[in-house]
Amino acid sequence: MEALLSLFPKDDLTLLAFIVLLPLVGAVVNGIFGKRLGREAVTLMGLTAVGGAFLLSVASFLILFEAQHESERAVRLIWRGWEWMKLTGQGGAPVTLTVALSVDALSGTMALVVTGVGFLIHLYSWKYMEEDPGYHRFFAYLNLFIFSMLVLILGDSLPVLFVGWEGVGLCSYLLIGFWFDGEANASAGKKAFITNRIGDFGLLVAMGLMLRNVGSLDWTGLEQGRGNLMEGMQIIQQISWLGMKSPVVVNTATLVGLALFLGCAGKSAQLPLYVWLPDAMAGPTPVSALIHAATMVTAGVYLVCRLSFIFVLSPAAMIVVAFVGAATALLAASIAFAQNDIKKVLAYSTVSQLGYMFLGVGVGAFTAGFFHVITHAFFKACLFLGAGSVIHAMHARIHDTDTSQDMRFMGGLRKYLPITFLTFAASWAAIVGFPGTSGFFSKDAILLSAFSSSIVPPQTAVSAPGGPMDVFLWPTWAGSVLYAMGLAGAVMTAFYMTRLLIGIFFGDFRGWKIVKGWKEPAAAHDHDHHHAHETPGPSMKGPTPHESPWQMWVPLAILGALALVAGLVNAHLIGIHLFDHWLAPVFATASEGVKTKEELAEMPFLGAAVAAFAVGVGGAYWVYVIQKGAPAKALAEGSPGFYALVRDKWRIDELYEETFIGAVDSLAEIAVVFDKWVVDGIIARVTAFVISLGGTILRAAQTGRVQAYAFTMVLGLGGIGWFFVAPQTTYRLRPDDRNGQYTVSLTPGAGYTYKWDETGDGKWDDKGFGDKRELKFSLDPDKTQKVRFQVRNGFGRVRTGELLVHRPKVDKSGADPAAMEAVTPEMKAAAEKAGMKVAPKGQVHP
Amino acid sequence: MQTLGLAVEHYVFLAGVIFTLGAIGFLVRRNVLVQLMCIELMLNAVNLLLVAFNRVYPANMAGQIFAFFIIAVAAAEAAVGLAIVLAFYRLKGTVMSDEGDSLKL
Amino acid sequence: MNQVGSLFFALMAGLSLLGAVGTISARNPIRSAMGLLLTIVGIAGLFLRLNAQFMGAIQLIVYAGAVVVLFVFVVMLLGPDASKVPSGPARGWAARAFAGVLMAVFAFGGGALVLGARDSLTFFKPVAPEHGSVEVVGRELFTKMLVPFELATALLIVAVVGAIAVARGHVEQKGKAKPAKLAPQSLFHGPLHPRDAGHPLVKERA
Repeated sequence: MEALLSLFPKDDLTLLAFIVLLPLVGAVVNGIFGKRLGREAVTLMGLTAVGGAFLLSVASFLILFEAQHESERAVRLIWRGWEWMKLTGQGGAPVTLTVALSVDALSGTMALVVTGVGFLIHLYSWKYMEEDPGYHRFFAYLNLFIFSMLVLILGDSLPVLFVGWEGVGLCSYLLIGFWFDGEANASAGKKAFITNRIGDFGLLVAMGLMLRNVGSLDWTGLEQGRGNLMEGMQIIQQISWLGMKSPVVVNTATLVGLALFLGCAGKSAQLPLYVWLPDAMAGPTPVSALIHAATMVTAGVYLVCRLSFIFVLSPAAMIVVAFVGAATALLAASIAFAQNDIKKVLAYSTVSQLGYMFLGVGVGAFTAGFFHVITHAFFKACLFLGAGSVIHAMHARIHDTDTSQDMRFMGGLRKYLPITFLTFAASWAAIVGFPGTSGFFSKDAILLSAFSSSIVPPQTAVSAPGGPMDVFLWPTWAGSVLYAMGLAGAVMTAFYMTRLLIGIFFGDFRGWKIVKGWKEPAAAHDHDHHHAHETPGPSMKGPTPHESPWQMWVPLAILGALALVAGLVNAHLIGIHLFDHWLAPVFATASEGVKTKEELAEMPFLGAAVAAFAVGVGGAYWVYVIQKGAPAKALAEGSPGFYALVRDKWRIDELYEETFIGAVDSLAEIAVVFDKWVVDGIIARVTAFVISLGGTILRAAQTGRVQAYAFTMVLGLGGIGWFFVAPQTTYRLRPDDRNGQYTVSLTPGAGYTYKWDETGDGKWDDKGFGDKRELKFSLDPDKTQKVRFQVRNGFGRVRTGELLVHRPKVDKSGADPAAMEAVTPEMKAAAEKAGMKVAPKGQVHP
Repeated sequence: MQTLGLAVEHYVFLAGVIFTLGAIGFLVRRNVLVQLMCIELMLNAVNLLLVAFNRVYPANMAGQIFAFFIIAVAAAEAAVGLAIVLAFYRLKGTVMSDEGDSLKL
Repeated sequence: MNQVGSLFFALMAGLSLLGAVGTISARNPIRSAMGLLLTIVGIAGLFLRLNAQFMGAIQLIVYAGAVVVLFVFVVMLLGPDASKVPSGPARGWAARAFAGVLMAVFAFGGGALVLGARDSLTFFKPVAPEHGSVEVVGRELFTKMLVPFELATALLIVAVVGAIAVARGHVEQKGKAKPAKLAPQSLFHGPLHPRDAGHPLVKERA
């Protein structure tokens, strides 16, 4: 500890730069040299980079822990890099943006999770991606992702965070489309990228508003200046003919909150921008686990926690966050019922769990929401990696992506994949809320807060200049409704996750049916023996699904164990509040705006949570094990339209396709017509005609004879020579109208000599040419004088020029120079203007 | 006439005439070899000017040094130019410059 | 002394002018090369008159010793082909007349300019006898001008390598097939994008 501190002093924690730099180095090395380095070196590089980042994160966490322990309040350790740019805030005040990284309790914890889970998933990818020709590319992208994510987390200001935000978006795009030769994969990548852009637009708007009102974009400055956001802003002008009597004015904090949430909804797949996440499962499974479940998609929740002190300024924005989260949780869960692709089920489950997190942070339970981020990172990463292990096993015989992920062809895999089954079951227990597991504690904390917490308008709103804009009070029913939605979501989660578990691991293996001749070795032995003469060539019986190598099950085991026990750091039930205490200083400012109902008995809520778990799991067990799926089949056949609607994800994608994408497509079609007939048809043809005409003319000059070309050169040479031979000169007049002093100077040249005629009477002042290049003379008011001059160059060629100098009449009020001082600036400017008029400068006109 | 060759103007005149002769030779002759010689003539005229002006301002040796470098570059140019003439001859079977019009449309 | 110097100048100037005229007017390239040699020797003499002994020596060594020899060598290599005029229209009288006019304009224009400055000739001032000696120029070259000097050596090496590469021509490498010639229209092969079908500027190529 001492050594660490002496190496990295707390006031400028260079350690942070190293945390970020390591994965970047890995990405650069693997990306540029990966192909030549070979797989072993790529693996070593990728794993070392992320592992090193993890160790350094632990070190920074320790330093932070020590610092926070000493000071008993929120501590932020900052590394300041370099000045990035200078912006202008409100009133022309300069805002300097610094590239800086910082770590506090929130970002330190998040960095630990990202690098830790990231390392495990890198380890997993070692074997999972082993056969892939793009192995080095994969690791380069993964390392780049870890780099971007760390920039996002550790960035000390919104712009730095935004760089990471866009970086993870880019990596997400690259990795979804990793197998870019498939049309579906490529378009899924594009969909993710474009949907995220809509959210990024909100984030940029929010940044602009904060820059305008607060004048600072780093965390400390924002927290101190957040009061400036309590200010009315006119968003729609008064439109009398629409019956709007007064312009619409809202609180800037609400605008900022909603714009920020738009960004978060894009990145964290919330309504209405969630549609990209299920499609993102087209990428390799470790990517789904790392980016689209454990880390990147929780960036939105992280941002809300990070800027909690701004969100609580606006109860209106917060209620939107909470309700969008709850609605997303319900909607995604309902879609997950009818999916058969195991990765799709997990994807909708992720969307649903992200909804939970937003429900938590939306009601002001930032600690609970963030706690769910972490537990979710463990159990969802484990579930995805487990799914990857299952798919890997199915690939023993099936090489079709869709079929190998379809749970209708699985079942009974418990026998072949014991370790995968155990870890999958552990994570299943966590996500369905089995009492005592991590998911149970985090989900319970969110549900409890949903019922009991609400956001109150901050005191400053009432006393803000110009009066409060939207003193929005949460309705009293909000808590109950949110709680009910959350509980319903919990039941649904328990149901469909149990369906998934049963579908994969219980019953008989249905895979034998897909591939003709793929038989279970033991059962098929006699059969094969009997018909040996009928099946020539390679035997079709086959490798059975088998357990994955240690590089794949070790991460599974670690994550599964964490999914079970990680909840204990914040187990309120048994009185452990470690996590609350650790994060409390970070959310100290924000918690002023959160009101919690006092004296609430926790027991009924616990009972309800356990009941939700029991109903969900029991229901699924009854439907899929006892009744062998008959009720589900009956429901699907009973109302086929409804079933198809759910299976097709409520046709939201189709709705977007028809409305937004259709509108853009129509615009594009109009533009195509314009492009085809106007741009290409008229403009391009006219241009082409002009060009070809010019070409026809110029072609005559291209004779192909060197001498002809050389001749034009000689002509040019002659012209240049003539220019040098003749004296070239311009004059410059420096008038001083007030004192009547005038100076004429001529431009110098090699070997030039000059002759002057000051009075313009035709008699030269000197007989011969001299070196005098400047002529000074004085003039009385309202007099004009002609000045002549001659310039001679070394060849004896002479050029004559003349100019008229006029001194304007002095204003009557001030005949003498001293009186001029009293003249107003306007008159002085006018006099100067007049003087300039008669004293032009320019080329000599001989 | 006592002072012939002691004023810079004499050299300027002489160099101008030699340069013009070289330029005209380059323009009217079609034999690439002779054209290259004409280029050498022009370079020599320039060298003469540089050295003559160096004599006007003797404190600075820039004129002579410049002429020295021009001689070096002219030697390089002659070597490459004659190599090109050989390649051209191999291609076209002649050394007449107006045969080299393959780039014309 | 001045008498001798003036005579020397007139001799050398006449020599170089004669050589220049010979260079551009001789039909045989060998005679052209001899004319060039004459000009070079004349200019080397003028260098001596200008107190540039070192430059005079260099002029003789490099130009007369190397460049003219190279020219003669190439002329010899080409043999009678070096002066063979190919069939085709001879240069017309217009071109010859034009060349004459150009010569006249340049020469008389230059002469008029010099004569115009006759009254104010810039006479040389006396210089130290070692001006332009090997020692002075060498000191300059190896101190102030060292970097350009070294660059000039690099240039010469590149020129030599380039000359060899150009002059030896193409050598067919064994085992390497000549790249197939691309017909110009083959650059635009391939199916059209459906959106471009019927486009006024795009024609489908088979």
